[in-house]
Amino acid sequence: MTDLSLPTALQAPSPRRKKALANRFTPWFFLAPFLTVFAAFFVAPVGYALYLSLFIKKRGGFGPARQAFGGLTNYVRAFQDSEFLQSLLHILLFMVIQVPLMLLAATALALILDGVKNGFAGRFFRTAFYLPYTLPSVIAGLLWGYLYSKNLSPFNQITGLKTDFLASGILLFSIGNIVTWTWTGYNMITLYAALQNVPGELYEAARIDGASNWDLTRYVKLPLLRPALTLSAIFSVIGTMQIFSEPFVLRPLGYVPDNITPNTYLYLVVARDGNFSYGAALAVLLAVFTFILSGFFLRSVQGES
Amino acid sequence: MSGALRSEAPARRLGKPRKSSGPRFTPLQTAILLLFAFYCLLPLWWMLTTLAKDNGQLFSTPGFLFALPSHLSENLHTLFTRQDGIFARWLVNSVVYAGLTAAGSMVVSAMAGYAFSKFRFTGRDALFNVILATIMVPSTALVLPIFLLMQQIGLINTYWAVILPGLVNPFGLYLMRLFWDAGFPSELMEAARIDGASEGTIFYQLGLPLVRGGLVTVALFAFVGAWNNFFLPLVVVNKEELFPLTLGLSVWNQTSSSSGQEPLYTVIVLGALISILPLVIAFLSLGRYWQGGLASGAVKG
Amino acid sequence: MSYAQPPRLLKKTALLLSLALVASTALAADPAFPKAPTDKVQLEVWSWVPGLDKTAAEFTKQYPNITVKITNLGGGPQTYTKLRTAIEAKSGAPDVAQIEYGFLPAFADTGGLVDLSKYGASDFKKYFVPWTWGQVSPDGQAVYAIPQDTGPFAMVYREDLLKKYGIATPKTWDEYAKAAATVNTKSAGKVKLGNFYTTFAPWFMAMAWADGGQFFKRDGDGWVQTLNNASAKKVLNYWYALIKKGQIGTLQAFTADYWNAAGAGSVASNFEAAWGPGGYAGSLKDKSAGLWRVAPLPQWKAGGKVASGNWGGSSNVVTTQSKNKEAATLFSLWLNLSQTAITANWNNGGLFPASDAGLALPALDDKTKNPSKFFGGQNISAVYAEASRGVNVNFQWAPWFPAVNDNFNKQMDKMIKGQFTPDQALDAWQAETLAGAKKEGFTVK
Repeated sequence: MTDLSLPTALQAPSPRRKKALANRFTPWFFLAPFLTVFAAFFVAPVGYALYLSLFIKKRGGFGPARQAFGGLTNYVRAFQDSEFLQSLLHILLFMVIQVPLMLLAATALALILDGVKNGFAGRFFRTAFYLPYTLPSVIAGLLWGYLYSKNLSPFNQITGLKTDFLASGILLFSIGNIVTWTWTGYNMITLYAALQNVPGELYEAARIDGASNWDLTRYVKLPLLRPALTLSAIFSVIGTMQIFSEPFVLRPLGYVPDNITPNTYLYLVVARDGNFSYGAALAVLLAVFTFILSGFFLRSVQGES
Repeated sequence: MSGALRSEAPARRLGKPRKSSGPRFTPLQTAILLLFAFYCLLPLWWMLTTLAKDNGQLFSTPGFLFALPSHLSENLHTLFTRQDGIFARWLVNSVVYAGLTAAGSMVVSAMAGYAFSKFRFTGRDALFNVILATIMVPSTALVLPIFLLMQQIGLINTYWAVILPGLVNPFGLYLMRLFWDAGFPSELMEAARIDGASEGTIFYQLGLPLVRGGLVTVALFAFVGAWNNFFLPLVVVNKEELFPLTLGLSVWNQTSSSSGQEPLYTVIVLGALISILPLVIAFLSLGRYWQGGLASGAVKG
Repeated sequence: MSYAQPPRLLKKTALLLSLALVASTALAADPAFPKAPTDKVQLEVWSWVPGLDKTAAEFTKQYPNITVKITNLGGGPQTYTKLRTAIEAKSGAPDVAQIEYGFLPAFADTGGLVDLSKYGASDFKKYFVPWTWGQVSPDGQAVYAIPQDTGPFAMVYREDLLKKYGIATPKTWDEYAKAAATVNTKSAGKVKLGNFYTTFAPWFMAMAWADGGQFFKRDGDGWVQTLNNASAKKVLNYWYALIKKGQIGTLQAFTADYWNAAGAGSVASNFEAAWGPGGYAGSLKDKSAGLWRVAPLPQWKAGGKVASGNWGGSSNVVTTQSKNKEAATLFSLWLNLSQTAITANWNNGGLFPASDAGLALPALDDKTKNPSKFFGGQNISAVYAEASRGVNVNFQWAPWFPAVNDNFNKQMDKMIKGQFTPDQALDAWQAETLAGAKKEGFTVK
């Protein structure tokens, strides 16, 4: 892409018209590659999913089902599907507990690391914290699967207990732990980077005003972290809504409810029960739900400030 | 939602990274840091101690300790010779998938981010918001549509099937837009225009060097995303020779324990560890860039 | 049997015997397969049978104009996901795919499978163990698949442990329950006689299958589902009582945890399908090698023919998207009836044949090789062959079985936690999946 100048045909008119034209077409030129791929692999599939969600399967006795137009039947079914609604509750619980804990830890760690000279120790800790993020979630699930395994778990070996980390009562927490383990360091780095980017003069000014370390954290750093924290929170909420790999990998190891997360349920509806239409409707609802949650969250954050 | 995340205020130059001030860690802080580092590293440590064990040692020796005799060479041999050495192929595939996705995504996002940042055009903000909103659609539901589409254009069972969808990364676009906002002042652009520079020159020769940090950041994220991808290849690739590492290892994990062959527990752990090495190296060597990149993405609000 | 100085006569008999053996293998020659197409054909096959590529190469040797490309996409779920997607998309499906019996109706229901009776498959019914044909041709007309391997049920046990605790191999469930109590007492609770797989519905169903239990039935132009049938209730109550007394464990099948316990001698017996012993030999390797044996499934009543059920096993389907349905059918038949193929499938993947002649396959009781070697050189296949002949022929599955399969885990979890009695668990299993099937549009009672 060495020469991105406009086609000669467009260069003929007067300089002023040329500039106006350039202004009109140039952005679209730069957008074209992105939009082409976006249209092909996002818009088209989503559109097709929307279309698909309007169909239902009709059967008569034995033999293959027919696709028939069902209007909003699939959506109505979703709102009456207690399994699906429960999966949303699971994930809400997850969001209320795991996301704040993770962000709290990430913030605390970022503040600690930011407060001290940037030596070897700082480098070591930052590296240690984000290493888990480099594990593909399938691999992380696999790894924790071993660590959770009742007889094999080194935790059980050490404590001498026989904790079943995959028991249905605590499974959600065990999955929460995998997610926390993977993502805390990542969020920490984001927040840390945001803190590092604050001009030093700001702190010096605060210090001259006689601010203590705590004051500095409370009244200067935390407010400065707000945008980064908001972004992290939004991405965590979206990520949480789409948790899939971890429960998927843990399934062969024990009882993992079909609806442990909305996404596993959706996957089973499609891949196991072969109901692509209903799955599509669930996906649409899930996206809308995520959208509402993020919006709600943003509003509450903005409302405070 | 994006409107709230990024301000319309004129771009501010990124603050100079500041040498952290203040004393050394207090004992409490040190304790917290050590504790969390322990939490992060312990499972990885387990992988290190386990990859040289055989299945017997996996069960009979303490999990967090190394065991003798070492079966590392044996495990390596199994890993790289099983199914005619297909693991090496998977490794290469993952590198190709992630590398091309990263490069492509960088180019595509840089261009699109530039357009959103530097030009006013009808529907700009609406389009940007729609693109950002798509990260909320769970990919599990797009299995059939994507499969159908790829089938139509003959992409199933090709490298492109795994690479192309990864080129579009809404978060990458978002980051790039911020980078262009902050790193390339509009005045500079105007000045170049007055000097008669073409739009291409302005973008390529003047602009890009100023957003290098952003390019690395976006490429790195795309690389990680592609490297970790599991679901897309699961759907669009039906040939073992085209599997990425994640899919290959998961297939081995599934088939090895019940098919009457010896399960590959420790061999898979070894494979898993090898599979994260490229990412660790990438992060260690490019850490400076992407931290800077994240900061500029995050600090603006 | 070792004689320092074998008498002449014996030597002669041995010679005669081995001659007879050669003759009988020759007699059990392959059936006459359909004619191969004359033009060049390439078949795509999705299967997770280990070493199938080599077997397929043998096929190409015999039928040079048919080449076969094998793809292993991992066990059941992953292969099924892809197959379903390809069928739904109406393109991208392979010519031949491997599907477990229980999941066959679900795929037949998609309309994506070829009725192989149109390609002469019905003529080969007589070569298969009768119950396997019932699995692939539930209505006796359409043939949706060619049976591949089977999982007749038998008991694997640690001979040394039973001896140690002074227990004779249990022949009835009464004896088994008593043995469970004895092991528990004498080992101070450290060793469990058996294990109940709470997340493997087909394992449980095989137990009820052996007792004549029926879970699904075709009725008129609809289905009848009876997950809470009398056999199921009897079997589950029996096991639950043992679990509650702590005499039976509830480890998950095929997990590192289970193999660890089995290798360490804290599980003294279990019930495994014919493909199971291979897993023991492979997973446990030298741990407890030679100590295991196989015995027929205990019976509810002493004496009489051994009744058994089936767990797992799979079949080969031909998809409607295949452009070479004759060749695909030929391959499926050859793969599961020719001596070459079933021998290779057994040796490479531990597939216990579905073909009648296959049950007498010499390779099955090769004492120098696993799994027989691992099982102390016992001819374990003879036990499984007998079990296969005792499997109820009429057992059927339904298209929504995949959901039934998963829902079982939920109910068992509640039962183990004490929230449900076994009867309540089965009733809930029945009610929830019935409602689900109706929502999917099935006509079912």
